[in-house]
Amino acid sequence: MIAPQTLVFGILALLGLLSMVATYLAVTERDLVKAVVFSAIQSTAYAFMYYLLMAPDIVLVYVPVAVGLYPAVILFLIKKTERFEGE
Amino acid sequence: MGINIDTYLFNLLIMTLFANLAISLYGVLARPSLIKKVIALTILSDTANTFAIVVGYRMWPTPTSPPVPPVITRIPPSREYMDWFTARAVDPLPQALVLTAIVIGLAVTLFLVFLTLQIYRLYRTTDVRRIAKLKG
Repeated sequence: MIAPQTLVFGILALLGLLSMVATYLAVTERDLVKAVVFSAIQSTAYAFMYYLLMAPDIVLVYVPVAVGLYPAVILFLIKKTERFEGE
Repeated sequence: MGINIDTYLFNLLIMTLFANLAISLYGVLARPSLIKKVIALTILSDTANTFAIVVGYRMWPTPTSPPVPPVITRIPPSREYMDWFTARAVDPLPQALVLTAIVIGLAVTLFLVFLTLQIYRLYRTTDVRRIAKLKG
């Protein structure tokens, strides 16, 4: 039987590892649309992390801004400019 | 005496946040595309906000009773409820600062997005190596 504290800290560590992988892929990906998707995955991991760190009011602001608005605005920017990095 | 598993997991979380900080700083400083720089800057500011939230977190009172959000749910609060609340609630001050920082970060990101769009309209590129070679 796992103690609840160990379970919560384990989920936090897993979310940290997921966000690290997503950040690495978002920074090194050459296709900017895929980079935006990886950035949204990282933001989702951070939102769950804020919820487990007992900040539900931050989650209410962070989810629309970082999962909804940032990818929408950056996709708009990519549509108006160029899609691939370094071309 | 072995290391506590909870301490190990929490330190793993802190290390992944530091790794995120390093990767996104590399993205801001070394990647050539301005759009990639904007994406890395949002990740950088989110990671800094997460550090502030982690600073405000507190260790569990016992391994089975978690800390509570800093919201008083009983109005008017009794003295016993306030004793229970102050022994368990996390720090609300970093959360208030992070709430402000998220909104300011949104405004700064929108400004940078339209700055990038204007640079593309003027120079037909978002690559900083080619923008640096331009004259005039």
